[in-house]
Amino acid sequence: MEYYPLFAFGIANLPMLGWLAAAAAPVVIHLLSRRRYAEVSWAAMEYLLAAVKKQRRRLRFEQWLLLAVRTLIVVLLVLAVAEPYFQRTGPAPAGAGRIHRVLVLDGSFSMAYRPTDRSRFEQAKQLAGELVEESRRGDAFTLVLMASPPAVVIGAPAMEPGEVLGEIDRLKCTDTTIDGPATVDKVRRIVQNARRENPGLGRHEVYFLTDLQRVGWEPNKTSEPRGLSPRRTLPQDKPGGLLNTATIAVIDLGQPDAENLAVADLSTLDPVATLAADVRFEVCLKNFGRKARNNQPIELLIDRRRVARKHIDIAAGEERSVEFTYRFDTPGDHIVEVRADGDALPTDNRRFMVVPVRESLRVLCIDGRPSGEPFGGAADYLAAALSPAGDSNRQTSVQVDLAPESALIERDLGQYDCVFICNVAQFTAGEARVMDAYLGAGGNVVFFLGEAVTAQRYNRRLYDTSDDTHILPARLGEIVPAGVYHIDPMEYRHPIVRAFRGREKAGLSAVPIFRYFKLTVPKDSGAMVVLKTTQGDPLIVEASVGRGRVVLVGASADVSWTPLPLWPSFVPLVQEMLAFCAGGELRQRNVAVGEPIVASVPSAVADLSASVHCPDGRTQPVTIHTDGDCSTLSFDGTTVGGIYTVRLGEPIERAWNFAANIDTTESNLARITIDQLRRDLWPEVVLLKISEPPDLSWDKAWRGDKPHGSLVFSEQQPGMSIAQPARLHVYLLYVVLGLLLTETCLAWRYGYNTP
Amino acid sequence: MENSQNYLDPKVLARLEGLSLRARLIVEGYASGVHRSPFHGFSIEFAEHREYVPGDDLRYLDWKVLGRTDKYHLKQFEEETNLDCYLLLDTSESMQYKSAEAALSKLEYAKCVGAALAYLVLKQQDSVGLATFDREVRALVRPGSKASHIKQIINVMEESVGGRKTAVGPIFHELAERFTRRGIVVVLSDLFDDVESMLAGLKHFRHRRHEVVLMHVLDPAELDFPFRRTTMFRGLEELPEVLVEPGPLRKAYLDQFGAYVHRLKQGCRMHRIDYVQMRTDQSLEVALSSYLASRR
Repeated sequence: MEYYPLFAFGIANLPMLGWLAAAAAPVVIHLLSRRRYAEVSWAAMEYLLAAVKKQRRRLRFEQWLLLAVRTLIVVLLVLAVAEPYFQRTGPAPAGAGRIHRVLVLDGSFSMAYRPTDRSRFEQAKQLAGELVEESRRGDAFTLVLMASPPAVVIGAPAMEPGEVLGEIDRLKCTDTTIDGPATVDKVRRIVQNARRENPGLGRHEVYFLTDLQRVGWEPNKTSEPRGLSPRRTLPQDKPGGLLNTATIAVIDLGQPDAENLAVADLSTLDPVATLAADVRFEVCLKNFGRKARNNQPIELLIDRRRVARKHIDIAAGEERSVEFTYRFDTPGDHIVEVRADGDALPTDNRRFMVVPVRESLRVLCIDGRPSGEPFGGAADYLAAALSPAGDSNRQTSVQVDLAPESALIERDLGQYDCVFICNVAQFTAGEARVMDAYLGAGGNVVFFLGEAVTAQRYNRRLYDTSDDTHILPARLGEIVPAGVYHIDPMEYRHPIVRAFRGREKAGLSAVPIFRYFKLTVPKDSGAMVVLKTTQGDPLIVEASVGRGRVVLVGASADVSWTPLPLWPSFVPLVQEMLAFCAGGELRQRNVAVGEPIVASVPSAVADLSASVHCPDGRTQPVTIHTDGDCSTLSFDGTTVGGIYTVRLGEPIERAWNFAANIDTTESNLARITIDQLRRDLWPEVVLLKISEPPDLSWDKAWRGDKPHGSLVFSEQQPGMSIAQPARLHVYLLYVVLGLLLTETCLAWRYGYNTP
Repeated sequence: MENSQNYLDPKVLARLEGLSLRARLIVEGYASGVHRSPFHGFSIEFAEHREYVPGDDLRYLDWKVLGRTDKYHLKQFEEETNLDCYLLLDTSESMQYKSAEAALSKLEYAKCVGAALAYLVLKQQDSVGLATFDREVRALVRPGSKASHIKQIINVMEESVGGRKTAVGPIFHELAERFTRRGIVVVLSDLFDDVESMLAGLKHFRHRRHEVVLMHVLDPAELDFPFRRTTMFRGLEELPEVLVEPGPLRKAYLDQFGAYVHRLKQGCRMHRIDYVQMRTDQSLEVALSSYLASRR
């Protein structure tokens, strides 16, 4: 230990000290009284002068004494209002009663930082263990792991040190960030319950063993970590908060200038991976340290095997992207991993991705008006665009099945990545249920409309349904009068049309549309408008339904309402539509740490068992929830980054891989300052800084063999404690009261208050 | 019409114009209370007997008649005008002081007392004279016994306005030389001067076989020092000013003043001089009777 604020003195209400200027008031009043006086002509002057001469020194002394007392009264009163406190750590005083200690270990992944051979988390565990061992008989412990969400390991005060030590030993660092508000709330409840249910515990002490990382501890400021909801930050302690019920000690395990490089992101530029095309991976690295990292190696591993390695220079604070290309040669789930090793925090040096690779995408095109003529049916152009002759497109290899509308019932939709429905007049309730189940299991449906479509029946079956089969992202209205309309690309913001950005010559906005259904998108429905007509009417709308996606196109897929199928922009538009829909599976397979893993399972099998094998070696059973025709399993224990394997038991015997990646906002090892912690959060906190891991020991720390070790444990009285903060203002007020009485007595004695 | 005894109250007197009126009312008020004059001449010429009435001085009871007849008769003598009363009135600047608590200044109070005494003396056909002084004798009225003499004395008193420094000792010496005929010297002054010098002057009177009565006229503020606020005391009679916090100084001042009065009283006792302290907020009855009653 290098720093022991064993005696902490502070001011809870610092701005009140401004009133110390009022201490000048007695002096000012005295001086003013010398300027404002009565005048008297006096006959017995000789005797007055004699009295003045004789008493001059005594009078001066009395005046100074009274002035000093009055000034001191003001100073002490202001100090009392400012609520100074004094706190010390050290041996628990004799007769202090039993102590309840809440041990809160920071389990965020920054605690995996290894300044030496031991990580911060290992140091925290050691200190916590020694704190338990050094305690006196009868002291009680509770244990909380500070993570997101925080885990209460021991919720009720445990008196048996062996059990507590065992739990501490079993603690593992998570790959999550810390949820400060939730942790503080849990600790507050633990303390409140302990006070209520264990009145014999005379004192409650909360020890936060943490690296004081700014992103977790900074109060009342919001940051926006990527991909997650806004981070909740610690609220300032309020009346009734933790400070009022317990004494808080923050044990600082952090290092001031910790260097760190993180793989901030790993993504594919191609939403669907097939054997037919190369897949491009983009890796984003960020240097959070203060030193440049030159010739930093970055490795790409596919299925645990290194397939590529690059070196880059990255300056301090810089964020750089690196692109890798790889063509898969076997279908199925492939595990992609990127590594950028070389710093003391290994957790964020790796990032994972599960890429489901297919030989080809399977698409079902349902033609509502099939024709024997080439390109006479409603879906002929679409089928050609999805799988152009020669299949030389680089994105996907698509296998298209063209079928009449009866295929909705007759075929197993689960074998298709996407179903395109073109100009089908109406749907039965059974067809709507099939589509709903298909979407719930992660399937995708694209609707093209046409003359045969009956808007009223579409709305009744797929939009205004009494049950929950709400499939369409927009309500169908009237067919607009025949005319020449054009497309408003809406700045190509939506992913489906983003490929057209900068390629205006593809002619998407120049395509004439003669007729289309007027679509109405309800507000706050979550549906997104992909394209509009120049009249302002939505033309293509998409939304998530179940675990799949639905795209609704207001125009036809044939040339009856628009020549778009004949234009060059039709093929990329349809291909992007398919990629957008089929790419949903990639998103579902890759989650952030803390997010649940959700997978669809066949609902036909009863008593199906499932388990999840976690990256840290745990295997946990998972329950399957069945809802109608759709069964899903959900696992919310993604506390560490890596690959999670979901296995279904007999008779299916199937496995999926999922990747969970850490939130790299925690990679920024910048720390909150002690002053800020005291000023904004807990003004009365005791802070112990630990920076020399070889010296990690309460025993060594307190025994006084260090220059600052002014507190020494008594051999006869083991056990250390944080003294309750001495609220000095009460004593100050007593002193003020005493001084007021003294002032009154002195003034009376000296004749200043003579009646 | 006010009760005549009310005129012994300085507050009532302060409302009256004219020293003559004040003096007459004081004497009437006082006389109605005691019924007897405190001043008596001394004579050896026996005139007649008269029957004793309660209140008469037993010194003049004829014991022989009482022995013979068992009746109480007093001997009455032929009265003679053989008492000279010299009133010495201090008119210095310090005598003009009047505090908020007092209705009359020390000089006004002394004038009232002096005039009343003169009135009393003349009423008994004795002689009364007056000298006013500060650092020198300002006016001198020879003793006279005519009833009209009171007017002259009162006129001199009314015309006396203070405003100068006091030098009491040398004045007493000077007056002692002037007052050749033996009598009673009544000094009306605040006596703010050197005590030894004053006592030396008074001793001179005693040496001339005068009876001396020292009427020490003081303002209540001088005796009590009741000031609270920070005050600038501006000295009278060419003394400097001083800014003081009166509260803490009160005791020291009272000690100093008490020591001065004590020295004065001690000197008077040593020289067999009657010392009478008069507060200007005090009823004149108290002031007069405390002395005159002792002279019966």
